[in-house]
Amino acid sequence: MHPSKPSYDSLMQHTRRHFLGASALGLGALAMRGITGEAQAATLPKGTHFPAKAKRVIYLFQAGGPSHLETLDPKPLLREKHTQPLPDSVRQGQRLTGMSGYQATLPLAGSFVDFKKYGKSGVEYSDLMSHIGGVADDVCVIRSMHTEAINHDPAITFFCSGNQVAGRPSMGAWASYGLGSMNENLPAFIVLVSQDATKDQPLYSRLWGSGFLPSEHQGVQFKAGKEPVLYLTNPEGVSPHARRGMLDALGKLNADQRAAELDPEVDARLAQAEMAYRMQTSVPEVADLSKESPETLAMYGESVKSPGSFAANCLQARRLIEKGVRFVQLFHQGWDQHGGLPGGIKRQCKQTDQASAALIKDLKQRGLLEDTLVIWGGEFGRTAYSQGKITKESYGRDHHPRCFSLWMAGGGIKGGQTYGQTDEFGYNIVKDPVHVHDLHATMQHLLGVDHERQTFKFQGRYYRLTDVSGHVIKAVIA
Amino acid sequence: MASPLAWAADAPVDFNREVRPILSDRCYGCHGPDADKGRKAGLRLDEIGGATKKLKSGDIAIVPGDLEKSTMVHRIFSTDPEEIMPPPELHRPLSAAEQDILRRWIKQGAKYDPHWAFVSPESHATPAIANPSWAKDPLDAFIADKAAKAGLKPSVAADRTTLLRRASFALTGLPPTNTEVDAFLSDQSPDAYEKRVDAMLASPRFGEHIAVGWLDLSRYADTWGYTGDKAMFAWPWRDWVLKAFNDNKPYDQFLTEQLAGDLLPNPTQDQRVATAFNRLHRMTFEGGSIAEEFRQDGINDRVMTAGYGFMGLTMECSRCHDHKYDPISQKDYFSMAAMFGDQNENGLLSYHGEVPPPFVRLYKTDEERRKEAELRAAVNAAEQALVATRTATAKADVKVTAPVAHFPLEAFTKTGVDDAVAGGKPAKFERRGSPEDLQLVPGFKGQAVKFDGDAGFILPEFKQLGRFDAFTFSALLRLGEKNARATVLHSTGFYTGDGDATGIELLVTQGKLRWSMIHLWPNSAASVETVDALPVDQWRRVTATYDGSSKASGLRVFLDGLEVKTTVVRDTLHAKPRDNALEIGSRTRDAGFRNGSLDEIQIWRTALTAAEVAVLHGLTADSLPAAVHAEHALARSNPGYAQAWERLQQARRALAAHEESAPPFFAMEHSSLAPKTFLLTRGEYDKPDLTKPCEPGVPAHIFPWNESLPKNRLGLARWLTDPKNPLASRVIINRLWAQVFGSGLFASSENLGMQGDLPTHPELLDTLAVDFVRSGWNTKAMLRRFVLSATFRQSSTPTAEAREKDPFNKYLARGPVFRLTAEMVRDQALLAAGTLVEKVGGESVQESARRRSIYTYRKRTAPPDNMLIFDAGSREICQPKRLNTNTPLQALVLLNNPGFVEAANSLAVKVSKASSEPSAQIVAAFRHVCTRDPRPSELAALNELYAIQKAAPPQFTPAPPKVAVPEPKADPKSKKQPAPVQAPSGPKMPADPSLAALTLVCSTILASDAAVTSR
Repeated sequence: MHPSKPSYDSLMQHTRRHFLGASALGLGALAMRGITGEAQAATLPKGTHFPAKAKRVIYLFQAGGPSHLETLDPKPLLREKHTQPLPDSVRQGQRLTGMSGYQATLPLAGSFVDFKKYGKSGVEYSDLMSHIGGVADDVCVIRSMHTEAINHDPAITFFCSGNQVAGRPSMGAWASYGLGSMNENLPAFIVLVSQDATKDQPLYSRLWGSGFLPSEHQGVQFKAGKEPVLYLTNPEGVSPHARRGMLDALGKLNADQRAAELDPEVDARLAQAEMAYRMQTSVPEVADLSKESPETLAMYGESVKSPGSFAANCLQARRLIEKGVRFVQLFHQGWDQHGGLPGGIKRQCKQTDQASAALIKDLKQRGLLEDTLVIWGGEFGRTAYSQGKITKESYGRDHHPRCFSLWMAGGGIKGGQTYGQTDEFGYNIVKDPVHVHDLHATMQHLLGVDHERQTFKFQGRYYRLTDVSGHVIKAVIA
Repeated sequence: MASPLAWAADAPVDFNREVRPILSDRCYGCHGPDADKGRKAGLRLDEIGGATKKLKSGDIAIVPGDLEKSTMVHRIFSTDPEEIMPPPELHRPLSAAEQDILRRWIKQGAKYDPHWAFVSPESHATPAIANPSWAKDPLDAFIADKAAKAGLKPSVAADRTTLLRRASFALTGLPPTNTEVDAFLSDQSPDAYEKRVDAMLASPRFGEHIAVGWLDLSRYADTWGYTGDKAMFAWPWRDWVLKAFNDNKPYDQFLTEQLAGDLLPNPTQDQRVATAFNRLHRMTFEGGSIAEEFRQDGINDRVMTAGYGFMGLTMECSRCHDHKYDPISQKDYFSMAAMFGDQNENGLLSYHGEVPPPFVRLYKTDEERRKEAELRAAVNAAEQALVATRTATAKADVKVTAPVAHFPLEAFTKTGVDDAVAGGKPAKFERRGSPEDLQLVPGFKGQAVKFDGDAGFILPEFKQLGRFDAFTFSALLRLGEKNARATVLHSTGFYTGDGDATGIELLVTQGKLRWSMIHLWPNSAASVETVDALPVDQWRRVTATYDGSSKASGLRVFLDGLEVKTTVVRDTLHAKPRDNALEIGSRTRDAGFRNGSLDEIQIWRTALTAAEVAVLHGLTADSLPAAVHAEHALARSNPGYAQAWERLQQARRALAAHEESAPPFFAMEHSSLAPKTFLLTRGEYDKPDLTKPCEPGVPAHIFPWNESLPKNRLGLARWLTDPKNPLASRVIINRLWAQVFGSGLFASSENLGMQGDLPTHPELLDTLAVDFVRSGWNTKAMLRRFVLSATFRQSSTPTAEAREKDPFNKYLARGPVFRLTAEMVRDQALLAAGTLVEKVGGESVQESARRRSIYTYRKRTAPPDNMLIFDAGSREICQPKRLNTNTPLQALVLLNNPGFVEAANSLAVKVSKASSEPSAQIVAAFRHVCTRDPRPSELAALNELYAIQKAAPPQFTPAPPKVAVPEPKADPKSKKQPAPVQAPSGPKMPADPSLAALTLVCSTILASDAAVTSR
C-alpha cells in the first residue's frame, strides 16, 4: 500500500495543527524555530526579537481600581483642601461615571493615611504600603498610568488584553504564544485568584482567555486544594498505576491508528495525553507549599498558611516561575472603594502589602528577581473628590481613568525611582504619561519581544497586544 | 537549467491571485481606500487611477509598462532604509519572488482586475476529467480537475462503516448506533447510502447539529456577559434557528427574517423572534456605565455580526476610519449602523434584569394570540363607548377631596418630616440625606424645604403605584437655578441610569417639567414635557395628574391651578413598572432637586380634575371656563361616563394582564423615535460629527444599491439576497462546505475581502453559489449534494505521496478528516453510553441533564470548561469559525471529567448487560464509540488492559471518619426547604472489579483517536 517509506519526520514538521497542538504546554518551545511554509505559520513568532531582560512575569493584578492617593501618589494639597469642591479648572469637563456624575458637589478628599520616604532612593509610600517601602530600592513606581475605560469590565478587559472589546488574547496568552513554556510539564500561563479577597467586582475567564489565539494559550487556573487544575485528579478508585496502564493501552490504540491512517496528528494527541499524565505529578508537586521553610513562610505573613490567600498565591507564583512557567497572573479583588475607603483600603493593603514585598525579597534571595518581572497594579485609579458625603471617619472615591499608579520590579526594571507625575490634585497627568499600551510594550520589550512585530493575522488583520500604538518606556529600564 | 526567476520573467501575472494579495497586505495600510489621514503621500494603490496619478512630489508610482518611470519599482527594489517600500517598520518586507511579481505586473501593463469576491458569481462549465464515471456530482469534476493539476488522483472509496460515521457526524453531529450500522451494512440496495442520508437530513438531530455553528456566529448564550452576567432569556431564538434548519427554511428567508423579520408585512411572532439575532450582543448593567457608549457598542456588534455572518466583510474595521483594505468607507459603516440603530432602546440593561425593550410577547398558541386581538378590540370598543357618554352634564360642585398625604414642611423631626394627614406616615430622610443637607427656608406658606441635589425624602410605605392607578402630586415649587436635570419626584430606580428607571417620575429638564409613567425608558413609557420652562426663584404651584390610562394623554401638568401645554415625549407604555417607594427631591446616582425648594406637598391616589386643581390653588370655581366645568361634571357627576371609564379601564387591565402573561422576548422594532445616526469621529461614542448625518445604507461600492429598496434592514436583506449580490451566496456556500469537508473553499470564512484567503476552487465556489440561488437557497439540498458526492465518499487515508504533496488536503484528493467538535465529543459519549436524553428544544440545561450539548447553559463569563478546552468559544462576540487544537487539558477532560467518567461507566454497564464475555463486551463498547470494529491489535491492547485492571481492582482512599453534621434547621419563617446536604461530587469507579476494569477500558476508548476523530 505504501510504495515508499513515508518520511515521517517531515510529515510531523508539515503538520501545522500538530505544531500548534504540541506548543501547548512547552513542547512547542522546541518546535518554535524554523517553521515556515503555510500562510498562518508565517506569522508565528520566532521567539525573542532581541535579548530578553526578563524571562518571566508575575503580574499581581489588583482588581477594582486601587486608589493611588492612599498608596503610591502622595497629595498633601488634598488634605489642605479637604471638603472643598474640585475646581472646574482641574476637572476640565472630563467625563465622570454615572455614579458620581450627577452628584451636586464634588468635595476633595485628603488621604487619611500618611506617606513616608523609604530606602536610599527616598521614594514615598503610604503607611499602608510600608512593606513595599522596605524594598523601595528595587521598585519603580509609575505615577502616570492612564487608561481609556471608566467602568470595571471594559477597563479590566482593556488592561488584560489591550482592548475593551471581548475576544482579544490576554497578556499571558501572548507570552505563551510568543515564548512558550520553559517546562514541558506545566502550562506556560497560570492564573491564581485570591480566595481571601472581598469579591466586590467579579472576574471572568475572558481576562486570561486566548481570544483568537489557539486555545492552548489560555491561562490555566490553579486553585488551592486537592485539584489545583481542573480535571487533574483521577476518578476515585483509579490509581496512578491504573492510569499508567490506560495510557499504555491508549498508546497502542493510537500507534495502530497512526499506522493505519498515516496521520501524525494521532501522535500529537498521544503526546498530549502523556503530558497530561506528567502534569498529574508535576502540578501537585509544584502546588505543595508544605516544603517551604518556616523563614520563607514567615516572610509572606500569617495568611500564607490559608490556602488560596493572596500571600499563599504569591508564594505559589514563585514556585511556578521557579519551575519555568512563563507568565503567572494573580488576581486580587476588593479595591472598589466607592464609599468607606479608609477601612476598605486598609484591609486590602493588609492582605497584599507584606506578601508582595516578600515575593520580591524571596525572588531576590534566590537570584530570580533579575530576570523575573513583577508588576503590581489595577485597572484604573480613583477620583480626588469623594463619591458621596465626606464624614469625619470616612469618604469614598469613584473610578478615575485619567491617572493612577502601579509599581514594577525585577526583570530589567531600574528600581528606586518614580516615573511620571500627576498634578497636585492627583487628577491629571502633568509629566510622562504612560498608557496601558505603553506598559504592555515595555513589558514585552523586557521579555525580548518587539510589540510591533509580535502579530497574529486574524480576519485579515495583523493584531498585536498593543493594538496600533504603545511606546517602550526606556526610563524605567535598567 | 534556467533559474525559476528567469523562467518567471515572461510568465503572465494574475492580478487577483498574485498581485492583489501583496498590494493589500503590504501597501493598502497606507496607500489604500482609507481616504482620511491614513493615506500617505496622497497615493492610493487599490485602483488604477490613483496608482498612475502624478503625485505632489512629481513622481508617478506606476507607469504601466514602463519600469524605469515607475517610482514604485525603484522604491520596492531600493536598499536604502529611508527609501524602501514597504518601510522596514512594517516588518513585512517583500520577498524576492514578490518583488518580481510586482515588477512583471507593471511591465505587463499593471492591469487591475476587480476583486474576485466583489464580482457576481457566474456558473462555470464542468471540467472534463480523466475518469468521468468517478464523479457523482458536477462538483466532483471540479475537485478532480484541480487535484489532477496538482498531480493527485482521487482516493478509493471509504469503507461503508467509515462513510456512515463521517456522514452521520457531518449531518447530525452524532455517530450512527450499532443497530444503524448493521442495518446499513446489510442493506444491499444501490441507494442504501442515499436513504440513510435522507433519513439523517430529516431527523431533528440535523438541526441540533447544524445550528451550532450559527449559534457561534450569532454569539448566542444564556447570559448577558459583562460584570454580573445575569441570565439572558434567549433560548426561544435558538429554537427558532433549530427549527429553521430542520424545516429547511430557504436561506434567503433565513437571512431576511433574522435581519428584518419585524419589517416584513404583518410579521408573525416567529418572524419577530428571529430578529433577536441582532439583540444577542452583550449588555452591561455595571453601575455608572454610560448608556450612549454601550448603545453604540451594541450597534457596532450588530453591524459586525451581520458583516461576518451574511457578507463576509470585516465591517467593524470601518468604525474608526475608512477600511484599510476594502472599499468600505467610514460613512458606509455608519450607514449600516443607521440600519441597526433604528431602535428606540437603552444601551444599558436594567440592574433588575428585565428584558430590555423593544420586545415581542411570546404567546404559546394561536388561541392566545387571537385572545390578544379580541382584548385589543374590546379596548377600542370601550374607548368608543366612553366617547359616546361625553354628553353635556349639569354643572357639578367643585370640592377637592382630602389628600392621602400632606407634608406642610414646617419642621424636621429626627427622621424626616411629618404627614399632616391624620394617621399618615412620616416621610423619612433618604439614606444619603440628613437634616443638615436639607434646609428649612422661608416658604410660600411658613417654612419650606430647600434641597441640595443629593439628599431628599422617601415615603417607604407609599408603594403600589401601577400604570393603571390614578395619581396626583401637588406642591409649591421654586427653582433655585435653571436645572439641566433635577428629580423632583419618582418611584423608580437609577442604578444603571435611565436603563433602570421604572415608575412615576417628575423631572425638571432644562427648566421644563417632564411628567412620566415608565416601565423601562425610553422604549416602554408614557411621558409628556411642558412647552415652557419654569421661571427661576419664583414659587409656582405644580400639580401633576395621571389618570391611570397608561397613555401620555392621561398625564397632565398644571401651574398655579391652570393646565399648561405639553408635548408628548413617549406614548408607548407596554408593561407595568416595578413596585418602588415614592421619593422626593433626590435619587441615588441621579441629579436631585439641587437648589430647588418645595412646600406643601400633597398626594392623591386619584386624578384631580382641572377644576379641582384650580380650586386647590385658590381660584374660584366661577372663574373657570365652561370646558373645565364640563370635564369636571363628566368625571364627577355623570354615572354613565364613570361607568364607561371603569369599563374601559377594566378592558385595558384585561388586555395588559393577558399580554403580561406571555413572557417578553427581545426583538428588533424599527422606531421613528430612534436617535439619528451621525458619523462618529474616530468611532468614539461621544464625538458625533453633526455635519455628517448618515442615512441607512450599504457599502454600495461592493454591490450597487437598488433605489427601489426600502432604506432599512429589510432593504439590506433584499440587497443581500439579490441573486447577483456577490457576497451572501458565497459566504453561506463556504460555511456549508466547511461543515461537511472540515474547512471552507476559502479558509477565511469570515472575510471575503482583500485580506481574506483566496479560494482553493474559485470556479467551484461560484458555480455552487449560483446553483444554490437557483435552487431557491435550498440548504438541505446543497448539503445532500456534498455528502453524496464522490469527493466526500473517498477514503481519508492518504498515500504517502499524497500526504507529501498535499499535507493539508487542500485538493481533497482524499476524504475529510477532522477532530470532533466539543459538542460532538460529549454527545457521542452520551449516545454511546445510552444516557443521552433526546428532546428537541426548550430551556437551556446544565450538563448533568445529559441533553445534547447545544442545550447546555452558556454563561458568557464562565463558559462550560470542557467546551472551552475543546475550542468552543465564550459566545461573547461573533465567532465565524473555531480553531482546532490539541492539548493535555483535552486528555484530562476525556479521562477525568465527571461526565465522561460517568459515560464510560454507563457504557460498561450497558455492554456487560448485553454479553457476559469480556472480549465481546469490549468489541461492543468500541463499536458504540468508534462505530467500527476494533482491529485485532486494538482489541488485544484493550483485552490486556482489561485483564491487568481486573487483577488490580480499584483502591479507594478510606473514607474520613464520619463527623456528625447537624442537620440544617429549617427556618420556620422561611418557606424554602433547607438545601440538601451535597453528596461528594467527584467521579467514582464502581467497586465490582469486572465492571471497574470495563469502565477503564471504556474510558480509554473514549480518549482514543478513533473516538475523537471523524475519518
